[in-house]
Amino acid sequence: MRDPSSFKQQFLKKWILGLQVCGSGKQNMSILERKEAIKLSADIALASARDGRTRWSRATIANASKHDDNKVLVQHLLESLKKSSIGLVVRENKRVRCKKILKWSCCVKRVRKSVSQVVLAKSIAKRMVNRKTRVLKSLVPGGEFMDDICLIEETLDYIESLRAQVDVMRTLAKATELVNGK
Amino acid sequence: MDMRDKDKYELEESNNNPINYHSPGGMPVDRRFNSTSIPNSSLGLIPTDNQMSVCRGDLAGAASCSSASVIDSFGPSMWEHPTNSQNLVFCDVSVQNIASSSNTVGIGKGVPASLRNGIDRTLEMGWNPPNSMLKGGFFLPNASGMLPQSLSQFPADSAFIERAARFSCFNGESFNDMVNPFGAPESMGLFSRGGGMMQGTGENFMGSGMKSVSGGQAPKNFMKAVEASKDVSMSVNHMATNKGSPLKNETKSDSLARSRDEAKQGMVGSGNASDEAEFSGGGGQDEPSMLEGNCRELSAKSLDSKKRKRNGQDAECDQAKGTPQSAEPAKGSPETQPKGDQKPNSTTSKDPGKQGKQGEKISERMKFLQDLVPGCSKVTGKAVMLDEIINYVQSLQRQVEFLSMKLATVNPRLDLNIEGLLAKDVFSPKMLQLHAVPPSSLAFSLEMPMAYPPSLPSQPGLIPTAFPGMDSHSDIIRRTINSQLTPMTAGFKEPAQLPNVWDDELRNVVQMSYGTSTPHDSQDVNEPLPPDHLKVEL
Repeated sequence: MRDPSSFKQQFLKKWILGLQVCGSGKQNMSILERKEAIKLSADIALASARDGRTRWSRATIANASKHDDNKVLVQHLLESLKKSSIGLVVRENKRVRCKKILKWSCCVKRVRKSVSQVVLAKSIAKRMVNRKTRVLKSLVPGGEFMDDICLIEETLDYIESLRAQVDVMRTLAKATELVNGK
Repeated sequence: MDMRDKDKYELEESNNNPINYHSPGGMPVDRRFNSTSIPNSSLGLIPTDNQMSVCRGDLAGAASCSSASVIDSFGPSMWEHPTNSQNLVFCDVSVQNIASSSNTVGIGKGVPASLRNGIDRTLEMGWNPPNSMLKGGFFLPNASGMLPQSLSQFPADSAFIERAARFSCFNGESFNDMVNPFGAPESMGLFSRGGGMMQGTGENFMGSGMKSVSGGQAPKNFMKAVEASKDVSMSVNHMATNKGSPLKNETKSDSLARSRDEAKQGMVGSGNASDEAEFSGGGGQDEPSMLEGNCRELSAKSLDSKKRKRNGQDAECDQAKGTPQSAEPAKGSPETQPKGDQKPNSTTSKDPGKQGKQGEKISERMKFLQDLVPGCSKVTGKAVMLDEIINYVQSLQRQVEFLSMKLATVNPRLDLNIEGLLAKDVFSPKMLQLHAVPPSSLAFSLEMPMAYPPSLPSQPGLIPTAFPGMDSHSDIIRRTINSQLTPMTAGFKEPAQLPNVWDDELRNVVQMSYGTSTPHDSQDVNEPLPPDHLKVEL
């Protein structure tokens, strides 16, 4: 896929940047505020490190920029050309939502009649899969607007990015511990 | 059937009784069990408020209808409620297996198997998916008279307890150590596999529950400090007060997250750095893969909490997966029931387009996901895979939260102390050897840290946010570090060399840190050092 180490470097740099943007504003932040700032800047940095190529990253950025106080952070982290990606996400989400509404309005609920064991099992399995897909959609940012195939692709990418994020954060935490321990 | 399941689920949710398994289960049980032809004798059991009865099932009925819920094998009275929920959560995969195979009867492989099956079903009941497949799979509150029988069915109970006590997972040993001995023989098939897995995880949690209870204040305090989220507070309550929040109100993700958090935090709380987990996945190769996957994730998180390198875990996971990889061709038969949506005669309205071609696409991608998500290689079936994926994503997200909280505690000023980090890292002789730094700047950088400790406290806040147009990321970092360092460079010679030095060293630090976890493909001269070199030198 992509180059993991350079991705991590990018992410780290953006994250440090974002933290400085966050932290410069306030002094004496409580621990929770700090944690939120760290997490937020990490998430946005992660999403922006993907350069808007994936839907989940765009969705993350879009969600983050919904809150006004985050907008500054987002704008700092993203170069100007990425701001357009936020508009893209919003438009895309609207489009997908419209499609879904249309689909729901058109589909006819099928009648369940007594079926054989096998068919029943299959339908139950399908239902299970659907339920899990719904859960997964709730987990992946922007997932509600994707169909199944896209969802799995996005999940793949998201998992990788999350892993990288965890690695970076863990390394940083470890290094900070060591430094502070000295 | 679905309606009843939903009712039962809602009933559970609405009932705030902390001992929520059986009390709501008592009422809708009738409806459900009627459909599964469970002998009515099993239905007439009154739920007690005893926590022990939480997981009691009807053994008599179990043998015939495989719907017994006998979680009671985890017998000891300190088997608390929340740990049950943890159990449930971790066995969801097995339950899914059972459900997907849609076999409610005929688990006549002997009482243990049916018991395990029942356990799985009761576990399944504990969480979200009101799976209509679990016709019988709910918690039967059992009269106390059943208890001895149930206990006898699990003769290894005391052995379980012993083992759980022995495996002090909260003292930093890996979950795998606890888990490996509990591998259920694969020959028993899905159900027993699930059951064995559940027992294994049950023992894990029993052990961990015991440990956490005995662990005392430290884990609890740490847990409280780490996360103020509801999950943690619930977990703290669970572990400390034995009360348990209403399980029904938790979603599966919550309980899963909570259990993982508990595992994580318990690990951290113990503060034991002796977590050299041999995650030898080779230990229990016949162990259910889901258990492996779960425990690997748990172990992964436990290691994460000790800040181990993930590459080690991945390597071990890969090793452990190496053997199950041979089972992967078995996955090549995608047209099993869980992947029913690939059948062209599907009447569902959800995915009319999901026929052969798209189904293949999905299977392809699921294969990629299998490689990515640890512990998925043995798993066949879409539902189970999706489950694993969901668990993994949730665990990663929890890790991020945990790490961000940890960083927040460590950094009072939110500046990540980059210059301090780099200064320290500069000293490591290996790092110095690795990159071509002119000797003058070497000397310069060597002087730096001496000034750091006194100057750090006096460092004025954080740098102003006046970033001009950014050329490159390294420039940004350099500039930020420079601006932070300028107050301190007053006494130093050659500040002009600083930018280059720091730039190189930042790159080196980053590459060194990450070089080992990823295939080192940069053209940098640095050799990838194992991460613990950093530790050793500092």
